[in-house]
Order: sequence, then structure tokens, then C-alpha cells
Amino acid sequence: MRRPPYPTVLKPYGRTLLDLARVDERIVCLSGDLTRQCEIDLFRDELPERFVNVGMAEANMIGIAGALARAGHVPFVHTFGVFATRRPFDQIVNAVAYPNLPVRIVGFMPGISSPGGPSHQAIEDVALMRALPNLTVIDAADATEIQQVVPAILDHPGPVYLRLKRGEIPVIFEEGYEFSMHRAQRLRTGGDAVIVANGMMLPSAIVATDILAATGIDCGLVHAPVVKPLDAATVVDAAAGVRAVVTAENHTIVGGLGSAVAEALAEAGSGARLRRVGLRDTFAEGALTAHHLFQTYDLTTQSIVDAVWGVLKPGGPAPVAPTSPAAVGEYSPV
Amino acid sequence: MDQKTESLAALADRIRLHAVRMVATHGLGYLGQALSSAEILATVYGRVYRPEVDRIVISPGHYVIGAFAAAAECGLLDPAALATYGHDGSRLEAIGTERSPSIDLTCGSLGQGLSAAVGFALSDRLLGRTDARTVVLVSDGELEEGQVWEAAMFAAHHGLGGIIALVDANNSQVDGPVAEITTIEPVADKWRAFGWHAQDVDGHDIQALESALDKAVRSDRPAVVTARTATTTGLDCLPSTIDGHFVKLPPKLAEQAVAELEARLA
Repeated sequence: MRRPPYPTVLKPYGRTLLDLARVDERIVCLSGDLTRQCEIDLFRDELPERFVNVGMAEANMIGIAGALARAGHVPFVHTFGVFATRRPFDQIVNAVAYPNLPVRIVGFMPGISSPGGPSHQAIEDVALMRALPNLTVIDAADATEIQQVVPAILDHPGPVYLRLKRGEIPVIFEEGYEFSMHRAQRLRTGGDAVIVANGMMLPSAIVATDILAATGIDCGLVHAPVVKPLDAATVVDAAAGVRAVVTAENHTIVGGLGSAVAEALAEAGSGARLRRVGLRDTFAEGALTAHHLFQTYDLTTQSIVDAVWGVLKPGGPAPVAPTSPAAVGEYSPV
Repeated sequence: MDQKTESLAALADRIRLHAVRMVATHGLGYLGQALSSAEILATVYGRVYRPEVDRIVISPGHYVIGAFAAAAECGLLDPAALATYGHDGSRLEAIGTERSPSIDLTCGSLGQGLSAAVGFALSDRLLGRTDARTVVLVSDGELEEGQVWEAAMFAAHHGLGGIIALVDANNSQVDGPVAEITTIEPVADKWRAFGWHAQDVDGHDIQALESALDKAVRSDRPAVVTARTATTTGLDCLPSTIDGHFVKLPPKLAEQAVAELEARLA
């Protein structure tokens, strides 16, 4: 995998979905009035007969998607993650999750990547979707992964919630990366500590691992894009013998990746101490930029380094994470 | 009444009779819904709904009792299954579920069925099934849910003429008469304003329902028939003070109800 600053690409999701839909007529694309923002202007322009703009009516959109799935279509539903999960929660339960239908709910602009205030920040979407029977929940990290996630979920028999960064998408993984619906990615092994991350926190976790390694801490890294069902075996195996496990998620620490890892470790009887980096049971206010929010609410590379350091207590101050400037068209973690 | 209309009236009473027996084993249940929708369901199953081509959505899951009874009468469900209604382990749960037989979709969480009907109609359009109809039963209380109107706007905007909605306007919800809780009138004008072909009829008048549904079938726009009903219609033995949402039916009253309906059907 690469190190930051990362090159970025635009619309890897939108292009992948369109490529699939060209050859698979089952795919129907639904938009909740956020078509360009969800990269599906590409679909709308080329396959308008299978593109449906439902407008600002998320409850109706989920109900329509459920019926389309019953009739044999594979509906991909698009809006911001916050509107995809909070507003139509009961509809997702009754029209999608309970009947276990192959609806793909794609929520963009995760966590505090939105400077739009708490109303626009999907900070508990993973927790909500993870709590529902039959749901598969995926928080993808980069363009390489996204291009593999979309075909991977196409024929999954049940519903999927896919959480995607909006805008410029970093390219973290090299050619040869293989996304799996069932396996977490053990990117690095380590005997002192292990970091478990996904989505927009993966770049920070990669840098934090490097910084800790440079101080002599043997720090492992697990990338867990599939939060549900979590690959508990890989997480537990990576945590065997280490003193610290640190999770990093662009989400509240209640009910998301950190909670899933905590459940897996506790059930396995792991003796490692756990620290969860993420929003600490708070809404996130006051931003023009996402960068500012990640710093203010302690979702940075430094936050991860400090969490590992705080458990291991190797002596002396924690190493300082370098700021990694990104030019236009590049992406670096905060 | 011509012979066809007469037979639909009898079908409505047979739906009532099944429903009385289904509820009687529990002593209480969703009998009011079956009584108010009996003529609606009889007309739909007897005249409009073609199981091999069309879809039927019972939006309020509490109404599946009537749909099961109608399906049993029309050969779509083994009548013996009705005896299991609402009992432990039965597929025929009192509030509809995914296992509910004979219908395409029902929603226990109210206000969601019209969106499903829209989804089915959209699918029919995508697949070129131009002749297919989606019949959806909606209750008046459900009109308080905003999602119904999201779906109504969408259906009209997209010209989904295959949708035929029936609103059972029985003026009954859990806390009392709908009119006392929220003013939903003028119901037909609301649908009309949303772009629907809308009619407002006596929901216990088979001829009026037949005529309205014939027009609804012919409409290029999504069509709605608001059927004015009551939760005690067709059973004179029921006291007028009953809770129409959840009727108490002790054994003696159940016997009277069965006798009344059997006498009328004889």
C-alpha cells in the first residue's frame, strides 16, 4: 500500500456501478436528489431508463427499492449516509432488512467528513445498520477497494449498507489488493500493539503505524472494511499477545467498528487493553473544513499514536505525527 | 342488483363470516377492519385483481384478516389455514408478516404500502408489463403518515397508471375516530391535488364500488377510490359502542354474529 500524500480519483464508485449496469439489466439506480454528489450522474446520463430520481423522499425511496428488489431488480439507493439511515430507519427495517432483500444502500459523506454540521454528519449510521438483522455493513477506504466492493456486493443475497467518502477518493492500495466480504485485511503484523481501522481513518492508521514502528514499537494494522459481519477471527488472531488494541473509525465510538472489535475481543477472552479513536459520544459542530473537525474531535493520526502510547507507556512523550501537506488532487490524513 | 353484484355482496358476507370465526377463537381482534373492508375486498378479488398478472398490497398489516378470508374464498389459500389465524406457530399472524400467504406485501408499520405499490408499478414499467395492475389497500388512519404522500407525489409525477389504491375510510384508529384526531378531509381532493384520478364512494355499496373500480382500471393516471365505511357494517348484533380497531367478541356474541351472517347467506 502507498503512503501519503495519496493520488486521488473522481467517481470510482459511479464508474464501477455504470460498468456493471451496462451488462446487468437487473441494476436500477435510485437517487435522493443528490445525483452528482453520489457519482451517479454517470448512470443517469448513460442509462436514464434505469435511473430514478425519487427526490427528497427517503422513506418512499427505501419502500420503492424494497419492492423493486422483490420483483427481481437489484436497486442501488443513493443519498448522503445521514439521510440514508436516520430518516428511513423504520422503512429499512420493514421494507428491506426484515424481508432480507438485495437492496444496496449507498451512503456518501461519512462521519465528520461533512462540514455541514450535525444535521449532515452520519456519525451513527454504522451503529444503526449494524444493529439490524440481515444487514451487511461496509466502510470502504479507497478507490481500489471501491472498484472491487461494488461487484462483490452485486449478487450478495441480502441487503448491504455501503459507506463511501464523497469527492476526491484516495488511491491507497496498489494493484493486487483483494477485497473480501469475509476477511479483514492484515496489512501488517505486530507483537506490541495492533490498530484496527477502516474507511477514512485508514490513512491515519497507516501513518500512525509507521510512526510507532520508527520508535521501536512493533505495531500491527488490520483493515476491516466489512464491519458486519466482522471477521472476528482475524481481529482476535492479530490481537493475540499484544498489549494494546486501538480502533480508529470516522463515527461515534458507540456501536461501530470499535464496538464490534470490543465484542470480538471480549468474547474471545483477549487480554489486550482496548482504546477506541472516534467521536466520543458527541455531535461535531463548528466547521468550515473537515480537517478542522477531525482535529477538534481527536480523530487524527496523532490521536491513534497517543492511544497506543497511552496503553504501552514506553516512557517519554509520544512521538509527534508529521503534518502531511496535500496538493490539490492529493489526499493526506489529518 | 344484478347477479354478479349479488354474488359480490355474498362474497363480502362470507369474508365477514370467516373473519368472525377467526377472531372468535381469540375472543378479540381485528374484526372491525374486516367488516369495514368486506365489500372493498369482495369487489377487488371478484372483479379487479388477477392473481396471475397483478400484485396486491395490503398496506395496513391489521387488515390481512380480510385478505386471507377473501383469498380462501377465491381459491388462493387453503380455507383450513384460516383456523390457525393468530395462533402460535401460524403463518397467518394477526398483523401481517413476510410469511403472510396469498398477498404480495403487507406492512405492520403503517403508511409504507403505497411506496411498495409504486415500486411494483415501476418494476412493471421497466419490464414492459404494461397490462399489470398493482392494487393497494390503504386505511384512512394511514393518511396521517407522511410517507403516503411522498409515494402519492411520486406515482403521479411518473404517471404510474397501473396503481389502483383503495382507501378504507372507516374513521377508526386506535385512539378513536380519525376525524377527532387529525382532520384528513377532504381526502379525495387531496389525492386529486396530488395528481391522482380520485373518487369518493359508499364503501359498502357494491355497485358504487364496481363502477368506481371500472373507472380506476381505465385511468391513465394512478387512481384512488376512497370508500366510506364503518367498522360494524354487516353485523347488526354488534353494539354500536365497540372499539372498531380491536373488537371484543365473547363466545355468545360470536355465536350471534355467525347466526346472523349464516341466515343472510342462506
